[in-house]
Amino acid sequence: MVGAAEEAQLNRLESQVDNGGGGAWEYLCLVRKLKARRSEKVLKHGLSILNDPKARSRLGGEEWTLYEQVAIAAMDCQRLDVAKDCIATLSKKFTGSLRVGRLEAMLLEAKGAWADAEKAYARLLEDNPLDQAMHKRKVAMAKAQGNISAAVDFLNKYLEIFMADQDAWRELAEIYVSLQMYKQAAFCYEELILSQPTVPLYHLAYAEVLYTMGGLENLQAAKKYYASTINLTGGKNTRALYGVCLCSVAINQLTKGRNKEEESSELQSLAAEALLKDYKHRAPEKLPLLSTMLKNMKLIS
Amino acid sequence: MGVECRYEVAQAAYIKLVLHALKHRTSPVGGLLVGRLPEDNASTVQIADAIPLTHSQIGLLPSLELALIQVEEHFGAEGLSVVGYYHANERYDDAELGNAAKKIGDHIFRYFPRAALLLLDNKGLEELVKGKGRDLVVQLYTRDSSKSWHQAGSDGRSQLTIKEPSANVLLLDYISSEKWQNIVDFDDHLDDISKDWLNPNLFK
Repeated sequence: MVGAAEEAQLNRLESQVDNGGGGAWEYLCLVRKLKARRSEKVLKHGLSILNDPKARSRLGGEEWTLYEQVAIAAMDCQRLDVAKDCIATLSKKFTGSLRVGRLEAMLLEAKGAWADAEKAYARLLEDNPLDQAMHKRKVAMAKAQGNISAAVDFLNKYLEIFMADQDAWRELAEIYVSLQMYKQAAFCYEELILSQPTVPLYHLAYAEVLYTMGGLENLQAAKKYYASTINLTGGKNTRALYGVCLCSVAINQLTKGRNKEEESSELQSLAAEALLKDYKHRAPEKLPLLSTMLKNMKLIS
Repeated sequence: MGVECRYEVAQAAYIKLVLHALKHRTSPVGGLLVGRLPEDNASTVQIADAIPLTHSQIGLLPSLELALIQVEEHFGAEGLSVVGYYHANERYDDAELGNAAKKIGDHIFRYFPRAALLLLDNKGLEELVKGKGRDLVVQLYTRDSSKSWHQAGSDGRSQLTIKEPSANVLLLDYISSEKWQNIVDFDDHLDDISKDWLNPNLFK
């Protein structure tokens, strides 16, 4: 996942390279580091380095990493000819390598030759049963073929072995949300929060799922997690601020007429004020819209 | 339920939804359709504009609810309201209207019984870009009292037309100039509120 600051940096580099300002290698390294999916740009700029013998030799040993990065980007853009060439070059240099074998199997995937790809991965996994990337390719293949239940199955089995893989938990949560299996998605986010309690994204995602599930208990919990997100992000996260407002309104609707429990009524008005302040500063043309909405929600007067 | 249901979509709405899908090719996208049912022509719903909503978690409520509130508030002043939802699937060969989209459609149906669901026709779009297709690259779904969404055209009752006949030509032009880069959805706005989900300068 890419945070706002990192995304801004990536975009800056990208437009710099696009406009001929150099820094292609820096850009490609950053894309790799952030695991961002910018295949068209990677293909374009990666190829320009690889096709220039001087630039290529300047990379030294990193040249092979670039071949791999470009091969994958090429597959994503369906430029299978380019991918084949890159993989061939890598195969000559690193014969019998597992990593190259994985790329060859990915190429089969890109061609849509699912059965062949599955066989290739099965073979590679026999010798390397703990290769995480290959296990995840199986999930990706199931997803690509539209077999979501198989993807969920594989992913669950994977997580039984590699239970510390955050990316996998997130992927599973997102798949569950797309299937409207919110309880299961909530469970995944609970795992993530347990292992990484200071990552605001997990608190936020959990709150959104709880809100979607609805019901008084879930809404109260959602409000707590929106609040912890606000805490962890220094009050700067717009979704969390809005979330607190939405939760209060929804909770009020459910507890109308019942004895209200000790509710910190300050939280939602503070959130409303924070939103108003931020919009006034950065999105003034939307301020009237926001004010009307908050007034209707009875969060401001 | 023998009433004919016609829908006329404006070029701006049509192009926006395709551009939105093209900006986020590796994920599903969705957005709201705003329009009106004119009094003098109560058989045709006019879809005047499209508001791009999200390119990530389609099934989650908070941003959908926020968008509905703000969109209704903004467009109410112009006599328009939410009349439908558009969706584009993540995978190229997925031509089915998924449950998440149907649920949003159901929600809108409660307030506007002539609600429309537009699903992007991925293959149709590819044909269009290759220069082989000429039809609109969206598929209309409508709902009757039976609670299920029917594809239009299969029963001849619902029909989607576009006001401006040269819409596809303009669309192709925007695609080749990569106009989709400039489109902003509600998700983007929540990440950075200085981005405007109304996309006021998109077609300038």
